[in-house]
Amino acid sequence: MPGPRDKKKRPEESKAEKEKKFELSRLSRRTMLKLTAAAGAGTVLAPMILTSRKSTAYAQGTVAEPVLCAPTPVPQSPPHTPFVDDLPVPSPAIPQFLSPFPTENANTAHGEAARDPHQRWAEFTPAVTYQLEARAGTHQFHRDYLPSYIWGFNGKYPGPTVLNAYGVPSLVRFKNSLPVTTSSFGTNKTTVHLHNGHTASESDGFAGDFFDTGLFKDNHYANAYAGIDDFGGFPKGDPREAQYTYWYHDHLMAETANNNYMGMNGAYLSYNQLSPPWEFNTPGSLRLPAYYGVTDIPLVLAFKRFCATDANTGRTEMFQVVGAAAPGTDKFTVNGKIQPKLSVRRRKYRFRLINTGVVLNWNFSLHGPDGAQKPMTVVASDGNLLHTPADVSATSGFPTIEVHVASRMDVIIDFSQFSIGDSVYLKENTQTPQFVSTPTPPPPAPGVPIGTVVMRFDVVGNAIIPDTPPIPDTLIELPPIPAAQPGGPFEWGFRFIPGQADGNNFRVSHSSIPEDNASHVATFLPFDPFRSDHAVLRGSTEEWIIRNDTLAGAWLHPVHIHLEEGRILERRVCTVPSATGCLPANRTPVAMPPWEDGNNARRDVYPVPGQHSLKIRLAFRDFHGRYLIHCHNMNHEDAFMMVRWDVVETMAELRNRREEINADRVARGDTPLYRKEELG
Amino acid sequence: MKRRKFFTSLGSDKPSNALRASVQGVPHAASPGPAIFTNALLRTHENKAVRFYDDLIKGKQVLINLMYATCESACPIVTANLVKVYEALKDRMGKDLFIYSMTVKPEEDGPEALKDFAEMHRALLPGWTFLTGDPYDLETIRYRLFAMNHIAIDTNIYGHTSFLLIINDATNRWLHVDPLASMSTVLRKISWADPPKSHEQIMEENKKLQEQIDRERKMFGYRMNA
Repeated sequence: MPGPRDKKKRPEESKAEKEKKFELSRLSRRTMLKLTAAAGAGTVLAPMILTSRKSTAYAQGTVAEPVLCAPTPVPQSPPHTPFVDDLPVPSPAIPQFLSPFPTENANTAHGEAARDPHQRWAEFTPAVTYQLEARAGTHQFHRDYLPSYIWGFNGKYPGPTVLNAYGVPSLVRFKNSLPVTTSSFGTNKTTVHLHNGHTASESDGFAGDFFDTGLFKDNHYANAYAGIDDFGGFPKGDPREAQYTYWYHDHLMAETANNNYMGMNGAYLSYNQLSPPWEFNTPGSLRLPAYYGVTDIPLVLAFKRFCATDANTGRTEMFQVVGAAAPGTDKFTVNGKIQPKLSVRRRKYRFRLINTGVVLNWNFSLHGPDGAQKPMTVVASDGNLLHTPADVSATSGFPTIEVHVASRMDVIIDFSQFSIGDSVYLKENTQTPQFVSTPTPPPPAPGVPIGTVVMRFDVVGNAIIPDTPPIPDTLIELPPIPAAQPGGPFEWGFRFIPGQADGNNFRVSHSSIPEDNASHVATFLPFDPFRSDHAVLRGSTEEWIIRNDTLAGAWLHPVHIHLEEGRILERRVCTVPSATGCLPANRTPVAMPPWEDGNNARRDVYPVPGQHSLKIRLAFRDFHGRYLIHCHNMNHEDAFMMVRWDVVETMAELRNRREEINADRVARGDTPLYRKEELG
Repeated sequence: MKRRKFFTSLGSDKPSNALRASVQGVPHAASPGPAIFTNALLRTHENKAVRFYDDLIKGKQVLINLMYATCESACPIVTANLVKVYEALKDRMGKDLFIYSMTVKPEEDGPEALKDFAEMHRALLPGWTFLTGDPYDLETIRYRLFAMNHIAIDTNIYGHTSFLLIINDATNRWLHVDPLASMSTVLRKISWADPPKSHEQIMEENKKLQEQIDRERKMFGYRMNA
């Protein structure tokens, strides 16, 4: 109760002011009643809940859900004018203090999602903390469009870019503030994977570790190089294992495509002395273009399709077939814009191409104003610097570069080869060209149809920030390809089984235990987060073969393996194509591009077209727990083309787990996975 | 195997109705109604005439799959799994949760054939309806509800037979699941279309999951299946 003194201190409100306030409140109440009457009883409760709830999570219902257009016939996206929007750069995430304070054990009392305690918490106490909140928002994909309903981190698409330095452990609090009730394409649960961080399992966004609206989860990123156990120093780990370009994205089991299509992803970049966030000369620096958003720009690529613009709702919604897989595409977006333009100066730029899918792969080439192909230099694949940079040009033997779903390619484009006033085009070569407008505008350059152009670079002047020196001939000394432990190799196969749905055809087997596809149809199991199909010992190295038995021309599966970067030893193609599985003698090695070859590159996405097989080597270091191998075509991973495998700590545990896996397999009429000597 | 029995309790916690009601008001797009579902006149395995939207879908939470009586590949396995789903969610079946199995070969499958199929698979259960009707209507429904927008899939009726659609018409929530996935996965996905839980309930379930993780860590030294 305020005493008389308090009353005196407060300025008296005049009668007129009081009346005005009352009138306003009455007005708003009246308007609200009118609105709710129009919108139906469903909305009446909303404002009450918003005010009565303590949790801010429930305030997110304020962005109206999309009114979706009919799924059949599939709509053509509205037309757009090319090259009118400037390429936006996702804003950097801003470090912030977190309340409640992050803890080693899950703080369930304050709403943290259940999880294992953080591994190596005391060793890598987070020095920087961020909060990224998944919530509904709107985003305008083009000037000619009205805003679209999206789900994004901090309500933005793409999400903020997290910028981190090696040696500075970070923690990102992913908060689920998605709508409590949703009728959209997405599912309001999430688990966020940092692709492809060397991350402990409980922070890795395991597909089964999803959490509900109103909860949050702290993902702890050590920001140390792989090999923490074996290498001291600062930052800890083997510096040759540095990774630079990551992206974080929703990994909700069975709904990953939908939630990513809704916009739940963003970039995460790491810096070290080799690739610092500046261009001036510092010890060890490669001096690549490095100013974020100025000369070093992430290009978050996504395929989309849109419904017709609806003036009543004020929206141009993304096309979604709710209850089904992610739809096809007829628009290409870069950083959330359709056919944007970027003003550049005559110097080098680093572009970090990130394919966020959700289903299709990109194939890029660069073309000048005369339509002639111009060179780009690949410096990193899947975020890992190449030993020797590789040119993508008409003469290098690699005229185009493929960026498969979830893959990243860092390319450097030197615009000093162009004149002021030139326009340069990034062209997509393999997908159906996007729909621009009717009639189709003429090609902006000879041989470059408008629908194939992803974005345009306008050379507007000479460099203001001095150009970086030429790209060094050697970027990084790669660690030696690790020797595999005896045993294996284990084969991860996409089998061809007529009549079987996708996802029931991906399984692990032992390369020395022959089997044909047909006799094991009944033993193919879809992904189950509670079932582990393979166990490996922490600190060990294994050879894995990833093979795709489906016929040539069928789906290319971009396979992703969590936790570790791998080295591709060889790629083989079947010379005697067979749906029942290729005999090892019929697999012939083929040449690999320099951004794939294990002697020059490290990868975490392994593209496997039909009838191909890849032999890779992987070390499993520093962390234990549950990890995944899956096809990163997100419709495929949602169809359970995904397998859980575990890293265990001790030989005894390994033996237990492997014996159990063998017993389970034999019990369902399958071959055992491990031979006696591999049981540990 | 034994360890796995632990977590089967996951799907069983049902939100109380009072708690559910408290979060129903957040605005969301209304069900498109017959505009998508159609209101076609269909016939059940009991030879009863029903309107697809008005009688079967409106305001309900339903599971829809496709089958045909003579199907010998996926349908029997899928139906067997659906029987397990039915057993697991028995308390709700016929009350706020329904299963509809629609034939893709209405020319062959009359109510009799469907009833025989249901009987054969022990699926003659309250709350589970097998449906046939005019081929044009059924095809329309199939395209509207199961459109995967891939011509090779949409024209191949067999490709549809292992696909379970989960719809809550009251909240206009649509999901799908591969019914051949593990039972815990199928039940989880069905629960994702349940009326929303209250914040308190989410917190409570999260606490329980943490307790389960801690229990497993104590027992095995690591998180096994939680």
